[in-house]
Amino acid sequence: MEIKKKNVGAMLVGEWNTKTIVAVAIGAALFGVLMCYGGIPIFTNTSLTTAMIIPVIVGALFGPLPAMVCCGVGNVIADLIGGWGLWFDWSVGNAVMAFCVGLLPVYGANIKEGIFTAKHAVIYAVCCILGNMVAFGVITPIFSALFYGSDLNLTFLQALAATLGNTLVLVVVGIPILLVLANRYKSRTNLKEDKGDQY
Amino acid sequence: MKEPAIVFKDFSFQYRVQHEPTLHDINLTIYKGEKVLILGSSGSGKSTLANCINGLIPFSHHGTMTGSVTVMGQETRESSIYGLSKTVGTVLQDSDAQFVGLSVAEDIAFAMENEAKPRREMVPIVEEHAATVGMSDFLGAVPFNLSGGQKQKVAIAGVLGSNVNILIFDEPLAALDPQMGNTAVELIDDLARDKERTIIIIEHRLEDVLHRNVDRIVLMADGRIAADMTPDELLKSDLLQKHGIREPLYVTAMKYAGCELEGTENLGDINTIRFTDEAKGKLMRFFTEESEPMPENTADEVVGFDHVTYEYDAGKPVVRDASFSIKRGERIAVIGKNGAGKSTAAKLICGVARPKSGTVRIDGQDAKSLSIKEIGERVGYVMQNPNQMIIKDTIKKEVEYALTIREMPQDTIREKATAALNACSLYSMRNWPVDTVSYGQKKRITVASILVLEPDVLILDEPSAGQDYKSYTEIMKFINVLNREYGKTILFITHDMHLALENTERAIVFSDGEVIADDKVFAVLANDDIISRANLKQTSLYTLAKHLCLEPEQVTRRFIAHEREASKA
Amino acid sequence: MNNKLVINFVPGPTPVHKLAGSTKMLIFLLFTAAIIATFDIRVIAALMIVPIIAIISMRPNYKPLIVLLSVMLVTTGVIGSIMLLIVSPDTGFSHVGGSTIIWQASEKLFITRETLWYLLVTMTKRVASFLTVMMFALATTPSEFASGLAFLHMPYKVCTIVSLAYRTIPDIASKFIDIRNSMQMRGVELSKKASVGKRLKATGQLLIPLIMSSFGRVESIANAMDLRGYGRLKTRTWYAEHELTNLDKILRIAAIFFGAAILFYIVYFRIINPYPAEMWCPFIAKEDIIAKSQFEDIFFLKWFNK
Repeated sequence: MEIKKKNVGAMLVGEWNTKTIVAVAIGAALFGVLMCYGGIPIFTNTSLTTAMIIPVIVGALFGPLPAMVCCGVGNVIADLIGGWGLWFDWSVGNAVMAFCVGLLPVYGANIKEGIFTAKHAVIYAVCCILGNMVAFGVITPIFSALFYGSDLNLTFLQALAATLGNTLVLVVVGIPILLVLANRYKSRTNLKEDKGDQY
Repeated sequence: MKEPAIVFKDFSFQYRVQHEPTLHDINLTIYKGEKVLILGSSGSGKSTLANCINGLIPFSHHGTMTGSVTVMGQETRESSIYGLSKTVGTVLQDSDAQFVGLSVAEDIAFAMENEAKPRREMVPIVEEHAATVGMSDFLGAVPFNLSGGQKQKVAIAGVLGSNVNILIFDEPLAALDPQMGNTAVELIDDLARDKERTIIIIEHRLEDVLHRNVDRIVLMADGRIAADMTPDELLKSDLLQKHGIREPLYVTAMKYAGCELEGTENLGDINTIRFTDEAKGKLMRFFTEESEPMPENTADEVVGFDHVTYEYDAGKPVVRDASFSIKRGERIAVIGKNGAGKSTAAKLICGVARPKSGTVRIDGQDAKSLSIKEIGERVGYVMQNPNQMIIKDTIKKEVEYALTIREMPQDTIREKATAALNACSLYSMRNWPVDTVSYGQKKRITVASILVLEPDVLILDEPSAGQDYKSYTEIMKFINVLNREYGKTILFITHDMHLALENTERAIVFSDGEVIADDKVFAVLANDDIISRANLKQTSLYTLAKHLCLEPEQVTRRFIAHEREASKA
Repeated sequence: MNNKLVINFVPGPTPVHKLAGSTKMLIFLLFTAAIIATFDIRVIAALMIVPIIAIISMRPNYKPLIVLLSVMLVTTGVIGSIMLLIVSPDTGFSHVGGSTIIWQASEKLFITRETLWYLLVTMTKRVASFLTVMMFALATTPSEFASGLAFLHMPYKVCTIVSLAYRTIPDIASKFIDIRNSMQMRGVELSKKASVGKRLKATGQLLIPLIMSSFGRVESIANAMDLRGYGRLKTRTWYAEHELTNLDKILRIAAIFFGAAILFYIVYFRIINPYPAEMWCPFIAKEDIIAKSQFEDIFFLKWFNK
């Protein structure tokens, strides 16, 4: 397979063909459903939610912008099917967080070709923490205070809980999933039948 | 002079990711107004051939093409996927995936939306196409309230553009139950009446397609055209067996009876078939021979239903007052059309659903006192789609999974997993990643991952769905070994009459939640009343019996008995 | 499935249901903007009138609405208020402009009249926001939602993502239930009996087949779309976006005035001639308001100042 050098800009945007659109749509639906039903609440407005692994997968396979759109749309859908009202502050926060989580291809973790090393895992974890801090420590509080007059202290505490909760899921569940995915995509040559007793 | 619609000339194609070409030296001309069946097992290249016509090759799947393909005189590589979509309409195998709109009308309009046609022009066209496929009354319906057959009709309406004169049906029968399959074949035939239209059907289920006549059959094998002839000629040849295609049941019956196929007229159509006197005599002799009666099963009961009723929504029972008893070591077909309650019955056995009234017995014990997990150790349930079951990344880990979560000691896990892997002939592949194996092998993995728990009863949900004859026979052979050698009780949930006929002794028929028959499989399949009430399809043995003026039950019984003797030998 | 979701897949029969997707989208956005723009409880209360009338006119099934509203009131209302009183009891000062203690337990735990007022205002704002979303969600089918987005000049690929996502949700839900059942049959404990850690792990494992089989269909869906000419042109039309009715036309004209009013409100009352505190309060005269920035109260900034 030919390896092209893509510039970072193209990598951030990703390739928006029909396949990407369908994948982002399915990702958004999964994100929405998991936001509503796939979490354990830990704080007001926050929960340990399995939805967080969706941006990991979409990001790994399609890049940061698809991951971002996926989570932004997914969050709006979650708000509408869950019916608890649209909270743009959290949607924007989730989208920004997803962008940072989805940076995987930019620093060379190419899941589609089975490349995901310990170094990538560390960068990934750092990106998750930073992304969550920016998203929920800066962006969401600004919008919350501006739009809904939320108290900043409370918002920062919520941001802290969200960052901790999300990072926990992103690292504890996300890294094994990335490893599994990378393994699944790894070249499938040299498969030999093995009739030996060595189990 | 016939006008050619599609011409392949010295054509070969190789996918970029593969080492060998998928299509070799294809020379094929399909004329305007023809109805052609492209037949072949999976991996024969039949879908690739279709994708070369609609432009998915080379525009969406990349690879190397040599030679030429022209569609209505236009070289495809010089056109585009969109340009071709104006003349070629493709109905994909998975009609659920093809349904991208949120309602029937929107999905029919999808192609016009993409052309940015104003809405007021779309409305009459949508109505016209919906009427063509008989979906006028469902324009506002949402996809998840439609049956597979209805979704497929919508898919057809969605590709009927104004200039679409070539229609490709990629495995149109795969997701349909028998009755709907018949309707689909009839609808395709009605569309073929219009002599401007060229119809290409891609299938491996020959007998079901031959429910209505086709002009020509192109048989594909290993990327080459193995035959290009009329149905009658093909059925008389030995090519079907050679290339792993199931021949129609009545043809098998004729062979069992020792008939010469050569002189038979209209061999491709059971309704108008004309036997020679000699063949008729042989058939009469074969079917009137007495066969050994099937042994009665006198073992004790493993699963029992006693007046079981279950409902999802109050007042609308999905299973109503069902009673039956399954004995150890039996092979049973639970049949009925989609939504008749057969899957719910399976859920009731597994304890995922609990009866509203009545009792489910497992090993003589009321299932009420057993947890899902406990029932899982006695009854194993294999889902239809193996992709929905596989969790781990290698075969070995997947098979060990149920044991690992029970925290068994390592030695025990190893011993049990080895036994299950061997039973499913997967031992030599145990360290392979699950993604590298075929659909049929994945199915075997899911069976193995259930077998490690050593359940007495195995429930298999639609084991034949989505598989060609070869991998189907492979799986059935293996299931039958489990039954014969390990004494497992097998329950097939299916609407495949062939499967029931060949692999089970008894059939329980569901219709609208009720058990309407529970009898020997040949008695059920020969009973016209039950078959039509359950919305199923007669096998061609039934029609054959009518031709010979024999009792269908007797014909079916003799056929099964002969088949079982043959498989024993 | 259908009745568990608030959003409808099948269009309803009432006049509000029959509006064009673009009109619904427009009204929804204007109301959302208006609610975001104001902190004056009198204005917010007035803004609730239209959504309430619209919801009543659609004759919805009230039971899920009441459940959702009470869940929201309990989580963000009761729990949120208690959290707030613990974390920053004097938050009313910076929002309302005063601090009148009416109950005190200790130096750090007290209730002021202004904080209570602040809680009332933010709660009202959330309820108004909730009602607006409900009005929109009850009236709109997903395809109208997508065509409404197209009307707002969103790239049509984003609109497709929205409608396809909705198309997929019921499939995901039924797949989820199937997989969950099959896992339980293999002996995985998913009920409340297992610990949080174990459940999270088990759910994680359940997601693998769910995600794999969901994403496994990307290719066939994309092929089906390509074969019907998706993405060829720069624009696209929407079958779900029907011709405007008279009511649509009237509402659009009203929307223009409403939009202008919102703009005027923001420019005049929030920028040119702002009220001295963020929130109007009947207990405090305009002259008595003491301005205080919220930022002075942020706990970690205080640490830096020490």
